[in-house]
Amino acid sequence: MKKTIFIIGLTLFILAVSLIGRDAAPVYLIRNATIVPVSGPPIENGSLLIENGRIKALGREIAVPDGAEVIDASGQFVYPGFIDAYTHYGLAEIAAISSTVDAREIGKENPEVRAAWAINPFSVHFGTGRTTGTTTALVAPSGGTFPGISALVKMDGWSLPEMAVSEAATSLINFPMTPRPSGEGVAAPKESSEDVTSKIVDKIKDYLGEARRYLQLKALISGNPGVEAPDYNAKYEALAPVLDGSLPVILSVEKTKDIELAIKFVRDQKIKAIFRGCAQGFKVADKIKASGIPVIIDSLYRGPSEPEDGYDAPYRNVVELAKAGVTICFSSGDDPSAGKDLTYHAAKAVAFGLDRDEAIRALTVNPAKVFGVDARLGSLEPGKDADLFIAAGDPLDARTDIKVLFINGRKVDMSNWWERQYEKWSARPGKDRP
Amino acid sequence: MKTRSTIAMIGLLAAGMTVTSAAADKPLLLRNGNIITVSGETLAGGDVLIRDGKIAAVGKGLSAPGAATIDLAGRWVMPGIIDSHSHIALEGDVNEMGDLITSEVDVRDIINPNDLNIYYALTGGVTSVHTMHGSANPIAGRGIVLKLRWGGSAEDLIFKGAPVTSKWALGENPKQSNFSAPGKPRYPKSRMGVEASIRLEFEKAREYRRKWREYERALDAGRARKGRRPSPMPPKKDLRLEGILEILDGKIWVRCHAYQSEEMLSIMRLCKEYGVKLACFEHALEGYRIAEELARDGVAISTFADFWGYKWEAYNTMPHNAALAAGKGVLVALNSDDAERMRHLFNDAAKTVRFGGMPEIEAIKTLTINPARIMGIDKWVGTIEPGKDADLAVFSRNPLDPFTVCQMTIVDGKVLFDRDGYLADRKKAEEAGKAKDAEKKAPKGETPGGEV
Repeated sequence: MKKTIFIIGLTLFILAVSLIGRDAAPVYLIRNATIVPVSGPPIENGSLLIENGRIKALGREIAVPDGAEVIDASGQFVYPGFIDAYTHYGLAEIAAISSTVDAREIGKENPEVRAAWAINPFSVHFGTGRTTGTTTALVAPSGGTFPGISALVKMDGWSLPEMAVSEAATSLINFPMTPRPSGEGVAAPKESSEDVTSKIVDKIKDYLGEARRYLQLKALISGNPGVEAPDYNAKYEALAPVLDGSLPVILSVEKTKDIELAIKFVRDQKIKAIFRGCAQGFKVADKIKASGIPVIIDSLYRGPSEPEDGYDAPYRNVVELAKAGVTICFSSGDDPSAGKDLTYHAAKAVAFGLDRDEAIRALTVNPAKVFGVDARLGSLEPGKDADLFIAAGDPLDARTDIKVLFINGRKVDMSNWWERQYEKWSARPGKDRP
Repeated sequence: MKTRSTIAMIGLLAAGMTVTSAAADKPLLLRNGNIITVSGETLAGGDVLIRDGKIAAVGKGLSAPGAATIDLAGRWVMPGIIDSHSHIALEGDVNEMGDLITSEVDVRDIINPNDLNIYYALTGGVTSVHTMHGSANPIAGRGIVLKLRWGGSAEDLIFKGAPVTSKWALGENPKQSNFSAPGKPRYPKSRMGVEASIRLEFEKAREYRRKWREYERALDAGRARKGRRPSPMPPKKDLRLEGILEILDGKIWVRCHAYQSEEMLSIMRLCKEYGVKLACFEHALEGYRIAEELARDGVAISTFADFWGYKWEAYNTMPHNAALAAGKGVLVALNSDDAERMRHLFNDAAKTVRFGGMPEIEAIKTLTINPARIMGIDKWVGTIEPGKDADLAVFSRNPLDPFTVCQMTIVDGKVLFDRDGYLADRKKAEEAGKAKDAEKKAPKGETPGGEV
């Protein structure tokens, strides 16, 4: 009885708190802006209404609701918040200082570890990364063959559960990279390098096979009390949603041969895959398209995979993949201090021929679809999360300032580690010190 | 590996290069572009006339009978980008890590003209670089300025007349915070030790000079006494200390790798004490904190636009560093320190416009005249003016535009990179490859013509 009263009390309390929270969520009306919904054509002189953390309406004319804060965005642009498709936000603060790095577990097979258990919501990189309009990021663990499970998180929040769109967004497998030929004047050991790659892939297959047998055995003996269950194996358990195709897997691949091998692997294993990297993807773009596997583009601060690919191969790669109809997403890559480069990579690809609208999709609706959250994120539509920003110009232009950004309908404080230092040191008195 | 691919790449580019070098013998007229002269106004619809590898004239409606002409059709031209901190075009390791002070070594001995990164640099509009020793030593070896005359020899690459430099390093790298050279832990392990080791070396060099002076005096005295006494023994020759004396005498320019403001201030005091001319702090990610002192003492900084956060000493910074320091009168260059980032420098410059509000022309200067001044080569490069070397970078749009592409890079009046030519060559090569594949697949035994 006491327990019931307690539970009722608690429920009422939670309800009250959440209602207070809801009441406190301000209503915003952005006006006179060029609204870029991405899912449809831009709306000139448009308005967008934010209510209860969601986009309530958008269009030419929206009446100002009672109590709404009106933001005049004349001459400015409203975009859905960008989604960074691969990062270590909150898992790594300063790469060189190991006590600040939680991105990688020891050993090769850690499919059970979750980024969501370790993300530091107060990493300075969330703040600096937001300067380019990023509102959501995939935070992935790294290293080994099975790095673990990534989380899809909003770039602001008081705690991880509050930030998480999904605490289990994808699993990951680091596919082996065909080693580059080495040694001056020595013929490339092509045969042996292929074998090494295949052997590692065989090991991955074996591991998945063992997990599959473990899960089959468990299913088989449930309801058969006479049969002894296998010892609990957290790693195999974590692979269950991978093997039944409900949890997508990010496969990092680089060279043509690896990509072809990976396409076959994905087909054979019947898993739901997302490629990451694909530096030589442009050479097999049609095959990637036919496989239906989307591609997360890595940092474009890199040279060609092989000199023969041409100096502009990394940019050309993006262009050709998109032309072939492959779904592409941009990402800032391994160091969260480079999170601010997300839009730079997109701009670089546009410079070399990627359609600009496609670049914007690769920052918004594409990753939303790839991570299965397009009902909530990726475009400006009524009912979707109010994750958006107001840009003074083209958000792909490094010169463009982004000063207003919303996450879950909350105006995020755009002051950050950089801005605070700038403010402080700009004000340093001019007189000399010894 | 590098050499092998380089040869392949040189082969690929050979066609384009021969055409342009033949053209270089006669004057070259670039017509109808937006010319960012840096020294003056940016000319819309402007022309640049190049003769004998030098800029002969800049203006509108230039004509030059007999000149090869390139119609820029509104493309943008800026002075060739100068990277004031690089390690390209060097063979092997650039860190002499075993010893603390290595002022006797010289990167001039390891110039590698076949480094493919020279070509990659050209694809990003870079025409000159300051390439140097690594940062493992408080006082390391000598650095050198190179002109990226791709296709030339090691000797051809050397920028004649550019001052030789001495690479110093403070902070985490010389104290080996994030790595360890093989063997026993090496002194210094603290910033105190780094400074002490520089001070100690200066004293050793002074002592060395005293000994040589004493010897020379004794020699003179002996001569005066007409050789009745045995000649004095000369001191042992020490190339390392000779290198330090070059620094103390101001014969070579000091380029000091440093991140933290307080260690920079401290080393500035040390240099004043010994009369050493400090040209520039490399990286200087906390330079904005001591902009007043840097400006007062005429010490420049060569920094990143927004590369940061990878180690502790690179954490207390912001992309406003360049703009804030420049705004307070510091001579600022943006550099790459990386073979890849090198070809993105023009994109980097755009970031300083947003962060800290650097005027666009000042952002262009951080890649041109400013590094030229820091490297002592501003007499020859860094602006588009008659009399200067014809080192130019041509872009499809304003170099600070996010969607701009480097179209052409000209060094001493020679077109060493041409994107249109590259694309044409690539297309040809790909078509040839396809034809070869088709040939392989074609059934054998059928000879076209069939009259044999």
